[in-house]
Amino acid sequence: MTSPQAKLSIQQLSIWRQKTPLLAIDEDIAAGEILTVMGPSGSGKSTLLNWVSGMMNPVFTAKGKLVLNGNDITELPSHLRQIAVLYQDPLLFNHLTVAGNIAFAMRSGNKEGRRQRISEALESVGLGGMESRWPNSLSGGQQARVALLRVLLNEPKVLLLDEPFSKLDSQLRQDIREIVFAQIRERKLPAILVTHDQQDANATAGKVINLALPQEASSC
Amino acid sequence: MAPYTSFFTRWVNYSPTLLVVLILVPVGAGLLGVLLPAFGWLPALGESTFNTRGFTALWNTAGFMSMALLSYATSLISTLIVVIISCFILASYFNSKLLSYVQRVLGPILVIPHAAAAIAIGFLIAPSGFVMRLFSPWLTGVEQPPDILLPNDPFGLSIIIGLVLKELPFILLMTLAALQQKEINHTINAHFSLAKSLGYHPFTGFFKVVLPTLYPFMRLPIYAILAYSSASIEIPLILGPNAPPTLAVAIMQWFNDVDLNLRIKASAGAIAQLFVTLLVLFSWWLFEKLVMAFAKSSLVNGRRVYADRAWRILTHCITLLIIFAIIFSLMGLILWSFAGYWSFPHAFPDTLVSTHWQNVLSQIPETLSNTLIVGVVSTSLALVLTLFALEAEQQQQKPLSTATSLLIYLPLLIPSIAFLFGIVWMKEQIGGGSVFLYVIMGHLLFVLPYVFLSMATSFRKLDQRYAAVAASLGCSPWRIFWQVKLPQLSIPMLFTYALGLAISFSQYLPTLLLGGGRINTLTTEAVALSSGSSRRLTAVYVIMQLALPALGFLLAWLIPKIIFRQRQ
Repeated sequence: MTSPQAKLSIQQLSIWRQKTPLLAIDEDIAAGEILTVMGPSGSGKSTLLNWVSGMMNPVFTAKGKLVLNGNDITELPSHLRQIAVLYQDPLLFNHLTVAGNIAFAMRSGNKEGRRQRISEALESVGLGGMESRWPNSLSGGQQARVALLRVLLNEPKVLLLDEPFSKLDSQLRQDIREIVFAQIRERKLPAILVTHDQQDANATAGKVINLALPQEASSC
Repeated sequence: MAPYTSFFTRWVNYSPTLLVVLILVPVGAGLLGVLLPAFGWLPALGESTFNTRGFTALWNTAGFMSMALLSYATSLISTLIVVIISCFILASYFNSKLLSYVQRVLGPILVIPHAAAAIAIGFLIAPSGFVMRLFSPWLTGVEQPPDILLPNDPFGLSIIIGLVLKELPFILLMTLAALQQKEINHTINAHFSLAKSLGYHPFTGFFKVVLPTLYPFMRLPIYAILAYSSASIEIPLILGPNAPPTLAVAIMQWFNDVDLNLRIKASAGAIAQLFVTLLVLFSWWLFEKLVMAFAKSSLVNGRRVYADRAWRILTHCITLLIIFAIIFSLMGLILWSFAGYWSFPHAFPDTLVSTHWQNVLSQIPETLSNTLIVGVVSTSLALVLTLFALEAEQQQQKPLSTATSLLIYLPLLIPSIAFLFGIVWMKEQIGGGSVFLYVIMGHLLFVLPYVFLSMATSFRKLDQRYAAVAASLGCSPWRIFWQVKLPQLSIPMLFTYALGLAISFSQYLPTLLLGGGRINTLTTEAVALSSGSSRRLTAVYVIMQLALPALGFLLAWLIPKIIFRQRQ
């Protein structure tokens, strides 16, 4: 089944922790669409993202298929999936400058061209001229924007968002959220957003899944 | 109100000073005792003017430069190999169960005495050694041991093999310990996942993302092995060439020469050794800078994969090779200790006998009791001093000064050959004193740093609220220390004790020099035997050398199990 547009399908996925079923979903995410996953801690939101990115902890077992643009990538090692993750913490590498952090994520190629693209990208999020700054000297909002650029210039085929706004204060949060969502739509990426925040969910204007706590845990 | 004092609290407060004095005085006196003769001042020979005769003699010694170069090169090359293999192993097995398995295998190897390891490796690689026998004649086609100089080859390759096998576990274990610290572990794992999600192959990802964060924690252990290996005695003595040997071995031979005039040259040599060690450290520092400058652009060039699969396969091979080297060394030792007649290409002795064991066991009681007395006394002293110093830290509610903490590790940082001879010289000036006392004091210098290192973390992690509860119930500081703190520390204390014993058992140079050849321990006997007479008897001694510390750790592991079973 191939479609002209990029699409991520999670087909009949069910995840268990030992014998306890944790979650079961079956979803298609089209290009530029954001699927929001909400639910209390322990409901398996992060486990779902880890399964999609291929980094699930082996204490969990999963059944189901992950299909990207018609290719089954369920068994592909994570570094070959082209699925990038934007985490809660910016996780900038302290041994590299701002430009270094972004260059790290880019495909290899013409040095001058890469430099050019980095400075344009920084310009586009209001960080023009900050190439040679060190991550520690940036504010929280600046770090978050660099982390976003790093993920976007990686040119992934899918973007996973693991509560990326939860550590930002409310004004900043709204700004960054707008930048991120605009970029996802512009680049036509299928995306999954995990969040606690109803406002995040509203802002996506897409489908929202609410995960419940697994049976065993909720009964006690 | 005057602060509360008692006999106990007063002594506790003196203990950090006492600890520093016990280390600083011998090391300082030892350095002085090398410095004065180095500049020609040796009243025993009627020399009481300062001159540079010693350095001239040293410079004119045939092969002096090759000795220094051999020390310099074997130290740097072996450390480089150790660091590369460590990084490859970490990169290949990062976040896999294999790594914790590797960790468990390497732990016991760490406490094998250098002398024992050197002898076992010598047996393994000798022309008539176990490796040759396993592959002859079906693969090599030889019926007679080939005529090659191994070990003791002039290029120091055997030294490098010995140092690599002995220091690799140390660097790996220190790095794994750093990786297990919660903060570091969290950052590194997050960065590693991120790199993978950006498309980096795990092996390349490790080098580009994990290593830059991890290396600062590897640096100190690396400098420690550089300093150690540039001036070590046991491995070059047993595996190294004889003419010329490494500088440290040459110095030891000059000091032990019947011609006392050589002492002046030897002292000058000890100073030269300090410079060689400093040069080794400086070279590594320079090497670090070069690698950093060179790697800077490749970190961000965007390449995700550098023949990673090939490197991984190579790492599997190296790991297997190391594991087999260790297994074959042990097998070789056991076979030699029981071998009767063992003709060459055979991989198994023609006859098995127990006479070597009987011989050794009939001669050994005195050696064994010397080993145990020195070990038990020096470890007990070290443990008591360490506990008191750590207690002082808690009572005064301020950490030991940086100077004190650094001074404790002084004997590990300065090449021991540079100050031990000075202590011998000082001892001759003072005259008298029991030989045992000097040997115990010498062992204390090397046992104390390890005991302190091993005990400090657990002691500082103690929950202070227990002591506060006891104090509010009216317990004196002594009772809190004895009945509240120490019982909580029983398991780390037992482990530390076993470690202290293992360090003491393995000491060669302090025992030999400060004992003046009158106190033989398992290690000095094994080294003495290894230089010739009988491979079979040596094997028995080496096995005893391995068994004794292993027994200590076994007890440290068993005793709490037995006690806790009674409590349930």
